Amino acid sequence: VNNNKNSNDNITYRSFKNKGKEPTKMRDRRIAECVELRKAHKVESIMKRRNISSVGDEEPLSPEDNTDNKQVISETIQEIVANVNGECPEKQRQGCQAARKLLSRERNPPLKEIIEAGLLTRFVEFLGRNDDPTLQFEAAWSLTNVASGTSWHTQQVVEHGAVPAFIALLASPMLNISEQAVWALGNIAGDGPSYRDGLIDCGVIPALLARLTPDAPVGYLRNLTWTLSNLCRNKNPFPRFSAVQQMLPSIIQLLHHSDKSILSDACWAISYLTDGPNERIDVVIKTGILPRLVELLGFEELTVVTPALRSIGNIVSGSDLQTQAAIDAGVLSALPQLMRHPKSSVQKEAAWAVSNIAAGPCQQIQQLITCGLLAPLVDLLRNGDFKTQREAVWAVTNYTSGGTVDQVVHLVKCGALEAILNLLQAKDTKTVLVILDAINNIFLAAEKLGEVDKLCLLVEEVGGLDRIEFLQNHENNAVYRAAQALIEKYFSEDGDDQCLTTEATDSNFVFGPSDLQKRFVF
Amino acid sequence: MSQTSEPSADAAVTEAPAPVSQSETKQSPAGKKQNKKKVEEVVEEEEEEYVVEKVLDRRVVKGRVEYLLKWKGFTDVDNTWEPEENLDCPDLIAEFLQSQKTAESGGKRRAESDGDGKETKKRKDEPEKLRGFARGLDPERIIGATDSSGELMFLMKWKNSDEADLVPAKEANVKCPQVVISFYEERLTWHSYPTEEEEKKDDKN
Repeated sequence: VNNNKNSNDNITYRSFKNKGKEPTKMRDRRIAECVELRKAHKVESIMKRRNISSVGDEEPLSPEDNTDNKQVISETIQEIVANVNGECPEKQRQGCQAARKLLSRERNPPLKEIIEAGLLTRFVEFLGRNDDPTLQFEAAWSLTNVASGTSWHTQQVVEHGAVPAFIALLASPMLNISEQAVWALGNIAGDGPSYRDGLIDCGVIPALLARLTPDAPVGYLRNLTWTLSNLCRNKNPFPRFSAVQQMLPSIIQLLHHSDKSILSDACWAISYLTDGPNERIDVVIKTGILPRLVELLGFEELTVVTPALRSIGNIVSGSDLQTQAAIDAGVLSALPQLMRHPKSSVQKEAAWAVSNIAAGPCQQIQQLITCGLLAPLVDLLRNGDFKTQREAVWAVTNYTSGGTVDQVVHLVKCGALEAILNLLQAKDTKTVLVILDAINNIFLAAEKLGEVDKLCLLVEEVGGLDRIEFLQNHENNAVYRAAQALIEKYFSEDGDDQCLTTEATDSNFVFGPSDLQKRFVF
Repeated sequence: MSQTSEPSADAAVTEAPAPVSQSETKQSPAGKKQNKKKVEEVVEEEEEEYVVEKVLDRRVVKGRVEYLLKWKGFTDVDNTWEPEENLDCPDLIAEFLQSQKTAESGGKRRAESDGDGKETKKRKDEPEKLRGFARGLDPERIIGATDSSGELMFLMKWKNSDEADLVPAKEANVKCPQVVISFYEERLTWHSYPTEEEEKKDDKN
């Protein structure tokens, strides 16, 4: 075909549609056409999403679109039932595959219809057909997808006896069948503690761990890790200790893998295992996994950082010893950049971890100072989103509660007092209470230094006094009483209850308004 | 160590705010009212000095610091709040303050389970089979196009198959250009050059 515009062929040129038209007009026309095509495409794709055929007489796009119609689904399922209940192996496979396709399509897989057609019995039966791997595979896949629905759907699968059959399939020499069994069991375990424990009672853990070999493909290991994490998941009750002990060494192993999905799911498993009383945290710490967790905190992938940080956060919400173990593993050097992470959820969780470390003894508070966590903390108080600020406020209150006078002074010098005073206008009552608590703690430190007056001036200078006074009108009892208490104790003219002990330190006038900075340490 | 705290509205800010979420350790039931009258009666009758066994809690009321005390020889029913200045047990107070930092309801706060990020169940919906041109089928015609994935894709109907699937336009342009051209040609629409009036109307659609 000669489509050369510059052809000298007169016939072609005469009939050439652009003959005689100006370039700018042609361009405008092309643009208009473009818009037209885009609009048509947009309409078409909207229609497609709404499953309306834009051109009536098009052939069906795929079996998927063809069966959105309930009538068609019903017919298809009838066909499946007939095939699956017959004796012909080929038809059985066909039926199973057709069911699998229905159940794995994008929109509205007909889980309920498949169940109601009584197909689950046959599917579970097919799981045992070692002579026909294709059949096993299609049945396993179909059951996996049914089990991925609501609790009711999963219950149907379990009640048709799928669990022992799937556990047996874990040992299948066909890797894709074994993997499918892993997946199905993951869905069942994920339903809740009841089925999780039921699986454990059926011996799922040794069967799973037997497949954790160095030569297992990454895709397989991903599914395995995810299923293991679901077996660690859920409280009320927690998985029993013996099961956890069985799984932990393998989870630790997986935490050293290089694949990010595997790392992510392994971290989630650890986060579930550490989300409990201190005895649970101990079991995890004893594996020696802390350094690796800290390392994972520094990964780029959010899918890894999030559960690693959650695990660390859980650990430092434990005892002082457990917190110290985390600190010794280097967690304080990883936290500052997490407090500056672009994702606010990471900032929030990092602040939460800091708040729990700050709830520890003053030696641990000192480590917060040494490792440079105060400046990022104050940054979060000033600039974090509200949930993050809330955690940072807790950090300040815990710090001022357990810190020495010098440590409290240091925190004030970093700007924390001014920052929390600015947050007194928060709508969240609890946060306001926590801030008032912190202010009280800071005043207690000032008392010990005999610097209450200076602190009052500082608070007033940054507009804090106004805010506290305003809170005396707060609707919440606890808030206005606390605000009142502060005013009465420290800002009232009478100054009766001020037990000004003069434990003077070397530094004179540690607290003081900024215009006195030249003369005073503060 | 268990603490009793007084979360009643009468209390001012306590130093130990309640934890954010449920924890394994059960909270004590709402604080017991101090049985001041009884203690006063006893004091009047016997005029002994009472010995503090343990400091249990701390609060600030009207600017005054008070501590909840367990008295030696008395049960917990008789615990009372006493102003700081009345007390002469700095060791017990220090011990309390120290332990308070590590007690779950005192300092540490457990995680809020705000949606644990990871899905509990997963449906397997990828087709096991090869897709697109890898299926080795002959293109019949293109029946749709989309760029929602960021790349222009054609929905391809293959010869001898009911199952259409997506192929990248870049690939189709090379492997079956005529099929691509037919698709576009079928969808060309001609417009006369719109006047200003018509343009405005068009934009409103």
